[in-house]
Amino acid sequence: MLPFKTALLLLCAGSLFAQETRNPRTSPADVAAGAKTFHSHCSPCHGYQGDGGRGPNLAAGRFYHGSSDADLLKNISEGIPGTEMPGLFYNEDRVWQLVAFIRSLSANAAKSSGDATAGATLFRSQGCAGCHRIRGEGGAIGPDLTSVGAARSLDNLKQSVVAPDAEVQPSYWTVRFEDASGKAVQGFLLNEDTYTVQLLDPAARLHSYDKASIKNYAIDKRSTMPSYRDKLSPRQLDDLLAYLSAQRPQ
Amino acid sequence: MKNVTRLCLTACCFVFSLSAQVTYEKLLGAASGGADWLTYSGSYRGWRYSSLDRINRQNAAQLTLEWVYQMPTTLMVETTPLVVDGVMYISEPPSNVVALDAKTGRQYWRYRRQLPSRINVCCGQVNRGVAVLGERVYIGTADAHLVSLDARTGAVLWDIQVADQTAGYAITGAPLIVKDMVICGIAGGEYGIRGFLDAYDASTGKRRWRFWTIPENSWPGNSWKTGGGPTWLTGSFDPQQNLLIWGTGNPSPDWNGDSRPGDNLYTDSAIALDADTGQLKWHFQFIPHDVHDWDAVQVPVLVDDVWKGAPRKLIYWAHRGGFFYVLDRETGKFLFGTPFAKQTWAKGLDASGHPIVLPNTEPSTEGTYIWPGVQGATNWYSPSYNPLTKLFYLSYWENRSIYRKGEQEYTAGNRYIGSVPLIDLPGDLGRGGIRALNPQTGERMWEYKLETKPWAGVLSTAGQLVFGGSDEGYFFALDAETGKELWRQNLGGMIRANPVTYLANGKQLVSIAAGNAIFTFAIQR
Repeated sequence: MLPFKTALLLLCAGSLFAQETRNPRTSPADVAAGAKTFHSHCSPCHGYQGDGGRGPNLAAGRFYHGSSDADLLKNISEGIPGTEMPGLFYNEDRVWQLVAFIRSLSANAAKSSGDATAGATLFRSQGCAGCHRIRGEGGAIGPDLTSVGAARSLDNLKQSVVAPDAEVQPSYWTVRFEDASGKAVQGFLLNEDTYTVQLLDPAARLHSYDKASIKNYAIDKRSTMPSYRDKLSPRQLDDLLAYLSAQRPQ
Repeated sequence: MKNVTRLCLTACCFVFSLSAQVTYEKLLGAASGGADWLTYSGSYRGWRYSSLDRINRQNAAQLTLEWVYQMPTTLMVETTPLVVDGVMYISEPPSNVVALDAKTGRQYWRYRRQLPSRINVCCGQVNRGVAVLGERVYIGTADAHLVSLDARTGAVLWDIQVADQTAGYAITGAPLIVKDMVICGIAGGEYGIRGFLDAYDASTGKRRWRFWTIPENSWPGNSWKTGGGPTWLTGSFDPQQNLLIWGTGNPSPDWNGDSRPGDNLYTDSAIALDADTGQLKWHFQFIPHDVHDWDAVQVPVLVDDVWKGAPRKLIYWAHRGGFFYVLDRETGKFLFGTPFAKQTWAKGLDASGHPIVLPNTEPSTEGTYIWPGVQGATNWYSPSYNPLTKLFYLSYWENRSIYRKGEQEYTAGNRYIGSVPLIDLPGDLGRGGIRALNPQTGERMWEYKLETKPWAGVLSTAGQLVFGGSDEGYFFALDAETGKELWRQNLGGMIRANPVTYLANGKQLVSIAAGNAIFTFAIQR
């Protein structure tokens, strides 16, 4: 059994260690300095306002690989193994400034004013679930939206709903051609190389073709999703966005 | 006693079978062909050409797999194997060396290097190959050491620090043996190093000379101390003139040149050094004051041929900025230059070979779209020259990047690049392929198009073949005269290495790294 004083000392030390590392650089000047670094180093992937692009949205206040200040410091400094996120290799003070700027993004992030429950009803009644899946329910040919609220900002979600052609991931481009028998073939372009092409047809079946055997090969980079700009009232759009924004990892 | 004698004989035979008798004379003779692959580019001339013709246009379609060697690594493999008397020596990332039976791919030994936990390399812990002299193998390491190994056992004979890796120095290229010296370049152009090229005594590891690519106090303020100018790819050697011809890399910081006004010599240059002293004989700077990271780090191709009616010592050089150059090898004088791929940054080259830079092509805060992209219209992967077709072959890219200008601040051992460009535009990745150029005119003689951008070098042979590879994982053989595809094999992993060919047991084999393995092909008799 430990002497009382020793036990007390260990308890205090334990509580000290348990304290979370806090960002020491959070002044407006630090945020401004962090913004400068962010715009030159991070925005190519994460978007100029951090609202996502090739890399995830950082303006929603949710981070897939740890949300504490210490997590952000580590992930920015060392990169995230298994992802495209590289390490920044800057001194700790400068990375803390970057963390301060990233935190400021979610402090100002737009929040949905809609009714997520009504949005859920719209998601089913407007046909979204025919193509999109959420937690295992729904169609398979559109992007899975289970975590879309964490990955995209509200503005970005709105753009996808009202102007789906504005940003289409290459795996949702469509390819059209004639096969060796002259039959028209169409599907999502999953993969292609110099000699072959792999696609998912509208019936969700996988196909692979030798390019030498096909004719009139063409890629359409527009989205196959219809625009909902004129199909939803402003209130309905807010409700749908509230529902999508609430889709986060559980 | 009898048993002891037998043991000694067996041991002697064993040792003999693994002895790598590479002499300087043998390296000089590699230019006229041979069964082995003795140095990074096959010979000092940088041709990546083999006089072997047992695999040729008539039978290339019958190539089949001979062996595969899998490496226990997930790092990118960029090695060029060397083959000496039936033994293949490869570098294995990050900084290991393996000796294999070149006939079967079975391992003799492996040298494992323990590296510090933090390694400062910009673009992956890669290594492009080893050098061999006598019975020694040499490797430059990711922690900026040069190591001499016993070619028979892999035992370390000496291990010297070339530079301080914590300050951003690393070695990724294969050393080059010249006479009794190991010539060793350095990487670190994204860490604000001050570049150099070194020569070391092959027996002792003692440094003979160092050439700084940025002369002391030659740039304003202290910018010369952190100005880059690395020498990270193996150069070529002209024995007649005793000249090392080497390419230098980008100035630092890469995409913001405000702190380093002027031409930034000798970055982005071809430099010619006296091999015995390291003294500069001439230089040619491809891009003064580069702000796009377009290193002149390509293999110089040395050719003696008629130029404008008179015999001349030439250098062919396809540079990362998208222009193909012909230089005089005795003086460094610019003779000719023309684009070999799409570029939007220069109107052309002036009479001295300097680019006539177009306005608004520098990196900007909002981003500037420019062809070629950051990785260039070509890069470190080897070109090839074939004396039979007199054509210059290369892997090319046509893509663009968004060049952004950002802040810069030097701290030792950290990146010093002045922004991060968007290298690949989503949905607009660009394409590439293999092109054959007439080096006298720059005319494109043929083209083999790929859907993606190749990071693999090319090899040409007396069998009138050009071997190349793709990021898609295909290894292929083309007709050297027409570019027609004669054979293709999917290796299932990205090919980011150069092919080689050699003879083993009278059979011609061709090898290339793909994914994390070495694949070797032959025609079965």
